Amino acid sequence: MPEIRTGVYVCHCGSNISEKVDVAAVVDFAAKLTGVAVSRDYKYMCSEPGQELIKKDIRELGINRVVVASCSPRMHEPTFRRALNAAGLNGYLLEMANIREQVSWVTLNPAQATQKAKALISGAVRKVRSNQPLEEKYVEVNPNVLVVGGGIAGLEAALKIANSGNQVYLVEREPSVGGNMAKFDKTFPTLDCAACILTPKMVEAGQHEKVKMFTYSEVAGVDGYIGNFKVKVRKKARYVDLNKCTACGDCEKVCPVNTADAFNEGLSERKAIYKLFAQAVPNVYQIEKKDKPPCRVACPAGVNVQGYLALTREGKYREALALVRENMPIPAVCGRVCFHPCEAECRRGELDEPVSINAVKRFLADYENKQGQPPVVNPQAKSGKRVAVIGSGPAGLAAAFYLNKAGHEVVVFEAKPEAGGLLRYGIPEYRLPKDVLKRELDYITDSGVKLRTNTRLGRDFSINDLKKQGYDAVFLAVGAGKEQNLGLEGEELSGVMSGLSFLEAANSRQKLDVNSDKVLVIGGGNAAVDAARTAKRLGAGSVEVIYRRTRNEMPAFAEEVAEAEREGISFRFLTAPLKITGKAGRVTSVECQQMELGEPDESGRRQPIPVPNAKFTLAADYVLVAIGQRVDPLFGGSKYVDIETNSNGTVKTNQYYLTNVLGVFAGGDMVTGPARMVDAVAAGKEASRMIDAYLRGETMPEREQPAKGQKEPLTGKKYYEVLRHRSPHLAVDKRGWRDEVVAALSEQDVMAEARRCLDCGVCSECFECVPACHAQAINHQAQDEYVDLEVGSIILATGFENLDPAVGVQWGYRRFPNVLTGLQFERLSNASGPTGGKLLTEDGREPEAVAILHCIGSRDKNYQEYCSRVCCMASLKFAHLVKEKIKAKVYEFYIDMRAYGKQYEEFYNRVQDEGVNFIRGKGAEVLEKSGRLVVRAEDTLLGAFREVPVDMVILNSALIPRRDAGAVAHLFSIQRSRDGFFLESHPKLEPIKTATDGIYLAGTCQGPKDIPDTVAQAAGAAAEALEKITAGRVKVSPITAYNIAERCSGCKTCIAMCPYKAISFDEERKVAIYNEALCKGCGTCVASCPSGAARMRNYETDQMLEIIEGVCAV
Amino acid sequence: MNFAYYPGCSLHASGREYDESTRAVFEALGVGLQEIDDWNCCGTTALPSTNYLFSLLVPARNLALAEQKGQDVAVACNSCYVSLRRAKTVYEGNPVWRSKMEQALAKIKTNFSGKVQVRHVLDIVVNEIGLERISANVKRPLQGLKVVPYYGCQIARPLNEFAHPELPTEMDRLLKTLGAKVLRYDHKTKCCGGSHITTKEADTLGLNQELLDEAQMRGAEAIVVSCPLCQLNLDAYQEKINQRFNTNYQIPVIYFTQLLGAAIGVPLKKLGLNRNLVPAKRLVQKYIGEVI
Repeated sequence: MPEIRTGVYVCHCGSNISEKVDVAAVVDFAAKLTGVAVSRDYKYMCSEPGQELIKKDIRELGINRVVVASCSPRMHEPTFRRALNAAGLNGYLLEMANIREQVSWVTLNPAQATQKAKALISGAVRKVRSNQPLEEKYVEVNPNVLVVGGGIAGLEAALKIANSGNQVYLVEREPSVGGNMAKFDKTFPTLDCAACILTPKMVEAGQHEKVKMFTYSEVAGVDGYIGNFKVKVRKKARYVDLNKCTACGDCEKVCPVNTADAFNEGLSERKAIYKLFAQAVPNVYQIEKKDKPPCRVACPAGVNVQGYLALTREGKYREALALVRENMPIPAVCGRVCFHPCEAECRRGELDEPVSINAVKRFLADYENKQGQPPVVNPQAKSGKRVAVIGSGPAGLAAAFYLNKAGHEVVVFEAKPEAGGLLRYGIPEYRLPKDVLKRELDYITDSGVKLRTNTRLGRDFSINDLKKQGYDAVFLAVGAGKEQNLGLEGEELSGVMSGLSFLEAANSRQKLDVNSDKVLVIGGGNAAVDAARTAKRLGAGSVEVIYRRTRNEMPAFAEEVAEAEREGISFRFLTAPLKITGKAGRVTSVECQQMELGEPDESGRRQPIPVPNAKFTLAADYVLVAIGQRVDPLFGGSKYVDIETNSNGTVKTNQYYLTNVLGVFAGGDMVTGPARMVDAVAAGKEASRMIDAYLRGETMPEREQPAKGQKEPLTGKKYYEVLRHRSPHLAVDKRGWRDEVVAALSEQDVMAEARRCLDCGVCSECFECVPACHAQAINHQAQDEYVDLEVGSIILATGFENLDPAVGVQWGYRRFPNVLTGLQFERLSNASGPTGGKLLTEDGREPEAVAILHCIGSRDKNYQEYCSRVCCMASLKFAHLVKEKIKAKVYEFYIDMRAYGKQYEEFYNRVQDEGVNFIRGKGAEVLEKSGRLVVRAEDTLLGAFREVPVDMVILNSALIPRRDAGAVAHLFSIQRSRDGFFLESHPKLEPIKTATDGIYLAGTCQGPKDIPDTVAQAAGAAAEALEKITAGRVKVSPITAYNIAERCSGCKTCIAMCPYKAISFDEERKVAIYNEALCKGCGTCVASCPSGAARMRNYETDQMLEIIEGVCAV
Repeated sequence: MNFAYYPGCSLHASGREYDESTRAVFEALGVGLQEIDDWNCCGTTALPSTNYLFSLLVPARNLALAEQKGQDVAVACNSCYVSLRRAKTVYEGNPVWRSKMEQALAKIKTNFSGKVQVRHVLDIVVNEIGLERISANVKRPLQGLKVVPYYGCQIARPLNEFAHPELPTEMDRLLKTLGAKVLRYDHKTKCCGGSHITTKEADTLGLNQELLDEAQMRGAEAIVVSCPLCQLNLDAYQEKINQRFNTNYQIPVIYFTQLLGAAIGVPLKKLGLNRNLVPAKRLVQKYIGEVI
């Protein structure tokens, strides 16, 4: 082991160090330390002669360790390493003691400074003894470059690199490149039109053979290190084929959905299928789809509610009804009896009241009927298969209709004399007129479905018979039509009937003798209320409904209960029947028990429990029992085929609606127990998909997953308060059995209701665009795609956002009309904007006075402390544009005028000459007074308080980092500065590099700046990338962490700690693997390793202890 | 629910009806109010400019008294609200002033831990008692009486606690629950000038004229307030404003507790509705149905 001979070199750094630290004393002190062969000082160690001192000593005095006491290693460590190398000594046998930034610059007392300098040098001298010589490493550089962001910065960088012959991948989140600059009108100070200078670059990049553009795409994942990045890009589904779309715009014309146009900053609306702006690159359309709107999600049958409302709005009633029929084959029925869960979820309800969706559907169905013959469904090519549907209620009808549509031969077997099930025999005529039901049934039979009535399963035929007759599948949908008995004494008396039988008799036009005084209905569901209202219409003197729980727990639809009460039916809650008493075989009264609510039962409703000593009697001439329905256990004639049932009589099916018998499916009330019409239709439709697959020998599809609802706040269309239109109801005294109580809305009201829909899903999937596109470019089933790229450098040019001035209530943004942001004014002034470039207030007038407020949210401790740099010039530009276009007075409320750039001051003078009023005082408040806007400010030059009435206020709000800047920084493993913008390596000397090698910044994502600075920085970023590409390889510091595998316990603590994702895990050997190319030598893993397996080259533990010993020894 | 009640000087003098109606309402709603025994003036906006330490001690004493009874403080006047809260906030947040306060308070053998809460009566009504309970108690809804809610500035600023600093909604929602028609009022937290009416009358009259102007423009039949200073300026000086600015405002200025009391059925004689200088007689007759 050769003798350690250390040279210590103390720098004066001019007077930076020597004015505080007694350099001579330090040199003397160092000379006496162990191993120090020579100790010198010099005014500027980093200079040529300074370095020569070191080199000479190495050559002539055999110095083999060097300590330089000077500035921060961040300044000159590379310099001194090079000096050592030049003299033939390994550069890593160097240690620097920072006696400038850490001593002379921060210590007030010279004695203390000198002492501290000595301590630091003492530590360094001890540590450097055990430094090892290290070899520098290189990694290859992939010449491809990724540019993230297609604004002016991204485009500029991309073109520079592409023109050098290297491949660029340009990823842009919006549907077109152009960024924020594409929105501007004119640019300062030259007043070039932004589009005129931007679009040539957009087109050039779009057409360049070395630029591959991924628009409407985002970076989803980044792995790797400089020279070798692996990037995953997510291409969002456009639903329009990029290669086929010719941007003819035919699709836009037929799209019925409007939403806020974000490109026009919310000042106008656009369609759901749209092109971002006229000069978009690529010049194609795309469709915006948000999460399924809650109305569609809530509908058990999955009817596309938003779609048919949108089509209705356009007057396309036929198309709207066709869309309904894709999921609901009986729209006229549905529009009358459905409990409309869609309306409960309608997001319009968040603003005022839900849309009258049900009433619109009814209108569409009735309208078609008025126009005459509805179009008949043409089924696809015949499949040759036969299906038997047992039961013609909503489940059976739906299954039959869709199976027929799929091309199968369908025969519906109905036990009763007429078809319809409970739609006919349960629901009273005043809710669902028989002629309406007839036309719905005719539509289904006209489409090819055969119907056999008066044919009962078990009595007239069996399932085995069906098999013998050549049916390939059977769908059981007989419902739950058997009444539940009370099981009480007296139930067999004359005058006691089940509600269901009562309704069936009434619906069959049988004579019912209800001309009696008191009808008592027992039950709280729709059947009970239907029975009660029917009894009233048939002449009952009084009708009372008794229910054992309260109004809140009643399953009957609230509307039905309300109407029943209006018709004079009384409800007695918390009442349960105990016994029915009679005389001469006829009912006379019902003995009742008062109940109260206790704990909830398995249905979640509170259990009724009897109140002690609270019995009473109610007189009754007729008792209708409607306490629930069951599946008729005799439905199957079970001795022929054994269909497995549950204990409550319902049929067991699997997720494919299949019973235990192959080829026999079941759905509707007979499977679920009593449910609602729309649930039955949904089951019938879904089962038809399963049966169709089964018949074709294909795998049965999985049941449709419940779609997720919307969680984002409502944005999109502008809201105008329009309250819900209510369907007219027949006057109570005119309500006979056959008189429909609820009338339809007028066509005008229906249109108004359809317009109330907020289109919260944006694209409604009405599919009107598909046939309109002659290029057949639209594909609504498109999915997001993922692409993997390999690049060597990444340039981030993701741009900025503007602070929403609504955060400061005092500026009146979104409180008063005609208060605009700068970007909104750009769009107003732009010839391709919402007003064609005319400066108009919201009510279409030219403003007589315009106020322009600087520093909204900038230079403000409450929002952003920094200056946004461009707004002063933008304000001048706005002032000039106003003066140029209209004869308005212009007031600029400013704090300072920042006109620092080339030709900026000259522009400022020009605008002053144009007669713009400059008030030196920040616009403090915007108010509304006497119909005008008023800006209040302190005019500091006048020393007075001013109130200036204007017609339009432009707020120049702060440039802020994009809202997802944090997520982006995390994705690319870079840092952000305190203001939230991406952090550069050094604010003065390295504004483009980041702490992560290979990732460079360009444009406003690094901080607010104007277009000339952005372009310059982008070119700089390109140069950084090209520097690496040209070198072909990159040097990587050898001061990295490494691990001793034998000591590694596989705890993975280091992996979680590493901020540079430089450590991976070897699953086989169960040890950590260190990627020394990615490692930045931060030491976190070393500190966190519990096994002492993680080490740092030239910063070993014993070396750290040497430093401590050395420092403490002084 | 029990509170230590700090009326403050105004409520025992020019703002008497605010005191009466607050007590009556709290009694009717079953919320306890015990007036702090031997309370002293809070110092209001004038004292901090003269002697800062003194301006902290003066309200702190009241808080200490409440603390001894283990109760939170209910305060009705906006200005007292700020003074009491400032004493607490500075005590909690500033160790330098805290030690000065502790030393001074020790001299009068009072100690204060800063734990006592200071709640404005509007806050208690809306957030503690709650609008649902109030709604259930409304016996005489106000039948669409058109009002503008004027909170005044000190209930919302500085250091807003329960109300938005510029556009609060507590009084709006309360008045809506009582059946009034609450009109838009952009001036809802603009300053009335407070005690500057005495020292800078001309300018302060201008501030109040603006408040009355918007109220009239919106069609308000009454301005509802929560502070005796605001009430005094708008009510007592309305005539002077009319003379100076050649206007003809005739808008009664009523405390929210008075309307609340009327709506929940408190006898009108307990609410002091006859004390207004701009008479509220006609309004009471039309909307509450009684003659006062």
